[in-house]
This record gives sequence, structure tokens and C-alpha cells, in this order.
Amino acid sequence: MDNVPPDDTIICRCSDVTRAELRAWIAHGLTSMDELKRLTRITMGPCQGRTCRHLVMQELAAVTGQPLEELTPSSFRQPLKGITLGAVADWVAKEKQEKEV
Amino acid sequence: MEQREIVVIGGGPAGLSAALQAAHSGARVTIIEGEKRLGGQLIKQTHMFFGSHKQHAGTRGIDIATLLENELRALPNVEIILGATVLGYYYEDGALTIEDHEAFRLMIPKRLIVASGASEKFLAFPNNDLPGVYGAGAVQTLMNVYGVKPAQRVLMIGAGNIGLIVSYQLLQAGVEVAAVLEAAPQISGYLVHASKILRLGVPILTRHSIKEALGKHTVEGAIIHRLDDRWQPVPHSEQQITCDTICLAVGLSPLCDLLWQAGCAMQYIAELGGYVALRDEGMQTSVPGIYVAGDAAGVEEASAAMVEGSLAGLSAALSLGYNSPADEELTAELRQQLDDLRAGPGGAKIRSGLEKLHPTADNPKEVT
Amino acid sequence: MLPTASLAAVTPHQERLARGAVAIVECFQEIPCNPCATNCPSQAFALVSDINALPVLDWDKCIGCGICVACCPGLAIFIVDGSGEQGVVRLPYEFLPLPEVGATVLGVGRDGAAVCGATVLRVQNSPAQDRTPIIWLQVPPEHIMSVRHFKF
Repeated sequence: MDNVPPDDTIICRCSDVTRAELRAWIAHGLTSMDELKRLTRITMGPCQGRTCRHLVMQELAAVTGQPLEELTPSSFRQPLKGITLGAVADWVAKEKQEKEV
Repeated sequence: MEQREIVVIGGGPAGLSAALQAAHSGARVTIIEGEKRLGGQLIKQTHMFFGSHKQHAGTRGIDIATLLENELRALPNVEIILGATVLGYYYEDGALTIEDHEAFRLMIPKRLIVASGASEKFLAFPNNDLPGVYGAGAVQTLMNVYGVKPAQRVLMIGAGNIGLIVSYQLLQAGVEVAAVLEAAPQISGYLVHASKILRLGVPILTRHSIKEALGKHTVEGAIIHRLDDRWQPVPHSEQQITCDTICLAVGLSPLCDLLWQAGCAMQYIAELGGYVALRDEGMQTSVPGIYVAGDAAGVEEASAAMVEGSLAGLSAALSLGYNSPADEELTAELRQQLDDLRAGPGGAKIRSGLEKLHPTADNPKEVT
Repeated sequence: MLPTASLAAVTPHQERLARGAVAIVECFQEIPCNPCATNCPSQAFALVSDINALPVLDWDKCIGCGICVACCPGLAIFIVDGSGEQGVVRLPYEFLPLPEVGATVLGVGRDGAAVCGATVLRVQNSPAQDRTPIIWLQVPPEHIMSVRHFKF
């Protein structure tokens, strides 16, 4: 966390990640969106990156000097919205039943 | 597992037009919309649309939603699924997973049209997490969909069409608009929209941006500052604004999550709002059978979204063998409409964005 | 901030203004839009194939009916009448409450600043206007090209 201005501006609202934290991780050597995602939880909250992805990419581009166009956004995993395991299990049971009939 | 012919994701202007055109061509169409009614952003657009009569110019967005919905409901080969969210696309078997009223569904379409729209961009400034900092679209939903007066006094950030239109609608709802800030040296939205709020006495401050939001538990005001030619804050240009709400209208990003999952070749194009899928003239992406239309294909006006939707619907139906002698003429006519809509100075940004888009053939499917 | 220099181009000559109601089309930016031209019952707008072209109104063909005022998506068209002792401005007004006929209001300009007192002559709100009421304001004749909104 050395040499990073104490900027507590929120970049990721879902996981309360500040600009200072993000810059510290980038200074620490994380230079891809997927690495940042795994260590800070950016793009993994309820908004699935719809609020923060662009801001994080801007920070990453600004700090590392990589053009925005050349950055790869963090991967987009299914499901895009939470669903209960019960709902999936119900579907599996129903499919199984239909196959047996 | 449910088999379908054409699935359209998103019931906004692009999705509705895509479903209509594909169904008119004779295909069996399923349209999936997350909200409880069709229309997408149209249902909160109380202003009249630009364009020509072909895109319902002069008609209010909300009424265009009803027109398109009624036309769609009259067709026997259309299935409408409301209140359902597509959770993912699995390229291995072309399956869509869906949450439909808390139940899980799995659907395999022969053709997929992604018209998922866009999300609002956010801005980084101190205290941006205070209650009272909203996207302009969210405020528009509160007012025009739910009938809630969202604020007493608003500071609007962004003088593009959304910032200008939402400011006007806030004024119509009896909300004060303290000012509209625009970081660029000129108003980026249409001047006629700007004139509507200027004559109501709302200042539009170009080369201005928000420095920080003020307030303890909720927004009580904001500090704004002037920007120089290099977009840097001018020292000592700070001004304090009193407001209870800060609205961000700083652009939209295409919602492409499903296209990424499908392995479509994507390209970052700032003029189109962010990453967009490469596509051919019929709006087919680099993954055969997957089409894109509307804001998901690049952020633009709803009139263009409708035409893109029709094009996608037409080409998806054609690829399934639903053809008619009039198709060629219709395709040419739709492309001409898009060219016309983009021909003016307001279309310069879109034109330059589309010029940068690589042809699909140069970017073979790559799944990571 | 707005290209009001272009106002001269959309202002009819004195003789036409004195003859009676005429539309003032304050549309100064090429945008893809043409309902004014396609809805004009007098074919007073030049019909051009480029929908981005600025509207061109033939003031001699314009009868000042006001149909374009309510159908302009940009609310950028006004009708002015300089034929009487008092001038009249008709403007689109999408706010509630609507003013009462006979009410005294404050006429404001394009920048929202006060111009002069005005009297409401008529409130036009037919179904054909599709929820864009048109308010007729009586103003001193020298202000027909200045008053574009009002407060009360």
C-alpha cells in the first residue's frame, strides 16, 4: 500500500473496493482484470460488473499505460443473476421424470 | 430441455422489432423479457421520437411500445415470456439457462437474437456511494414507471440526450434541476432538447464536472469545478451546489455478457459505448446463428435499434429458410433507413465507431 | 450557447409577420427527423429525401395552423402573429397545471429570463395534439420573436 494516495472513492459499490485499494493491488503487480477480480471481488457482486467494470478498466489503463482497447474484461460467468439451487434441482428432477415416462 | 426456433432476448425496441420481423417472415419466435411488460426503455420515454414515420417519428416512446406489443400479440407464431431472466449461454450445446418466476428452464434455440440493451456508466468521485446518487435512467424509471417523485432538487451530470431528456421530465414532475453539467466544451445531446430546459431557466454548464458529493447520510449537495482544454480541473473554480439527488447521465455500455459467453468475437469501440460484437450486415455475429441488435450492438438511438432489430429478425428467419421474394428489397430498404438515420452530424460518432469495427471474417470464433 | 445567430434565417420578413400567423421553426441542427414536413396540411415545408436536412418553410404557403407545433418532437416550433395591435405567440407547453384563459403570466425568453407580461388567450389541447397543449399568449408586438415560454 506504499506510494498510493489515500483515495477512498468507491470504484466497486457491491464489494466496497476503493480507488486506493485497487491502485495498491495494481502496484503490487496485478495487471489483468481477471486477477483483480479474483483478489478484490470486483465484477462479482449483485451488479455483475455493470457498475464497476468500466471504472476498473479505466484505472488499470491509467496506471499501467495500456490502452483501454487492449484490455480484456474479466470473464463473464454463468449465471448472470443468482438462482436457488432448489430451482435447478427441481428442474433436474422433472427432466429425469420425463425421461423415465 | 425445450427446443425453440428463434429466441429473442430482450423486449425493448430492438427485440420487439426483431421478433416482429422474424414472425412476419414465418418463423416461430420466442421473446424473453425480464420485466413484467414488453417495451424495455420505451415504457418510460414520454417524449416524442425523432426519425421518420417508418420509425414512428412524432410518437411518444411509451406509445411505440404499445404499438409494437399489440402487433406482436396479434401473431399466432409468437411466444412471449415475461418476468424471466436469461442466466447464461453455453456454447458447448447452444443452451440458454433461464430463471422464470423462480423456476429454472433450459432452452435450445436454433437461432438466437441478443437484444439485451445497455447499462448506465458510473462515475468515480468522492462520496459516490451516498444514497441519492442515481443513474439518470433509474430516476426516469422511478418517475415514469412507478409514479414516484424521486427528488426535490437534482444536479444532472451529462448533457447528452439522456441527461437533457431526463432533466426535462424531472421538471415536468415538479422537481427542480439545479444545473446540468457537461464535461465536453459543447452540449453533446440534441440542441432542441437543450433548448427545452434552457427556456425553463436551467443552466447547462459545459466544461464542468462533479468534484465530490456532499452529505453525511444522504446527498446534501455537490462541489463542481470547471475543466480546461485537457479535461483537467481548473484550480479555484469550485462551486457548491445544493441538491438532494445527483443523477449520472454519462453514457451507456452495451450489455454483452451472453455474447462473451457464446464466444463471439468482440472489439472495444469507445464510440459505441464499450465492447461490441463483430457482425455482418445482417447483424449475425462471428458465431453462426447468433445475432445482435440495438444498444447491445452499440449504443445508439432507439429508432436505429428498431431498424437493426428488423434486420436481425429478417436474417435469422432467412437463414432458417423462411424467405419471400420481397426479402431482398426489404433488406435494402432497412439498410437505407439505418444509413439515413446515421447520415447527419449527430450520427458522426456512430459512423466513426462502425468504421472501426472489423469484419467478422477476420476474427474467427475464439472461445477462451 | 445556442446558435441563435441562425434565428435570422428562420425569421420571416416584416411584411409576412404583419400579414398574420406564421410558424417559426427554431431547429438549427441537422437531426434525423421530419414530422413537421410530413404532417403539414399546406405542404409548406420543402419535402426532401434526406431526413437529416434542416426544415425549410415557405412562409407564403404557411397558414399558421399550428399542427407542426404539437408534432415537433423537439418542441422547437412556435407560431407568431404580428398582424394585430397586440402580438400573439403560440407555444407548446407540456406541464401541469395548464394556465386559465385570461390569466396574466410572465413571458420568458429562450434562456429562461423574463421578457414581458403576457395574457393567456387560448389553451388548445385537442386529442390530435397528443398531449402537447398549445398556449396562445398575447404579448406586445415587439416581443413575438422573444417570448418562448412562460411562468405563472
